[in-house]
Amino acid sequence: MAASDDTGAPSPAGGARTRGIPWRRWNIAVHRDLGFLAAALTIAYAISGIAVNHIADWNPNYRVSKTFTTIAPVADTAAAAMIATTRERLQLADAPRSSFRPDPNTLQLFYKGTTYHVDLPTGKVMVEATVPRPVLFEMNQLHLNHAKRAWTWIADIYALALLLLAVTGLFVLKGRLGITGRGAWLTAAGLLPVVYWLVFLK
Amino acid sequence: MTTIRTAIAALALVALSATTAAAQAKDYGKGLTLKVKTPISAILKDPHAFHGKKVQVEGTIVEVCEERGCWIKIASDKQFESIRFKVEDGVITFPLDAKGKLALAEGVVEVNMLTKEQALAQAKEMHKERGTMAKFDPSKYTKDVMDVQIKGEGARVK
Repeated sequence: MAASDDTGAPSPAGGARTRGIPWRRWNIAVHRDLGFLAAALTIAYAISGIAVNHIADWNPNYRVSKTFTTIAPVADTAAAAMIATTRERLQLADAPRSSFRPDPNTLQLFYKGTTYHVDLPTGKVMVEATVPRPVLFEMNQLHLNHAKRAWTWIADIYALALLLLAVTGLFVLKGRLGITGRGAWLTAAGLLPVVYWLVFLK
Repeated sequence: MTTIRTAIAALALVALSATTAAAQAKDYGKGLTLKVKTPISAILKDPHAFHGKKVQVEGTIVEVCEERGCWIKIASDKQFESIRFKVEDGVITFPLDAKGKLALAEGVVEVNMLTKEQALAQAKEMHKERGTMAKFDPSKYTKDVMDVQIKGEGARVK
């Protein structure tokens, strides 16, 4: 059993009292408490990081679905009349947020979360629905700092906490398993991805 | 019990504030500085006259980049026309649900000549991204085309 000082924490010298600032004890305490404080955001940022990293393969914020239906062809008349006819045929009770005609054959109706692309001559309709991915959408908003304002400061403080976690982590253990032993090799191994980037990807 | 009630009331207040804020206009990027709006139709009619100039345009958002939210298409004041408002990846991200909302946007007009191969590649990418109903027809791209866009600096969406 390790000896302890008057605060109840183990003495770094294994029983022998040391003079001056007990820096290793403070280092462990800072590392431990920052670890608890940063856990929630680290999990959120890590999940969001993986999601955003693969943005070329999928949309990490929204689930977009495209379905098709057909209505009777819509005559090319005044915009208001075309919108009214299309709404009636699609049984849309509410008026659209806005509308647009990208070309003479197409009418687009914009609703919150849904866009209707109507091919006027054929009556073919593409219904494009956009739904935010639950939880992941919010995590990405925080990770990419879309909120700006106060979140910029919170994210800065969190980044500073991560920096401290990394630095204090190097000095938690001492001896054979610490930074002067096995820890040095593992820390050096952690630099390998950076070397790989410098040599092959930059 | 009182603490729980207070917490619920506070949460409800936060939710109400968030809802109210969501209903308001949202700013993206730098603040708007110009006082005069330029009709999009004027830019598209004579793009070279606007090349390199900062403009402020207004119109309905009719398309949003599905992958990164790094561009929007803004409807012109003239039928069948729209202009792409391209922003730097990651600096501004437009949400997909901005479609159909009104944008007041500022940026610098860019006119580029694309070779038919570049135009074809760009159209292919856009078609893949948009997943429109129309079949992609590569035979349409037989000559070099002029690409006009606004290099976006800031926007207000409402």
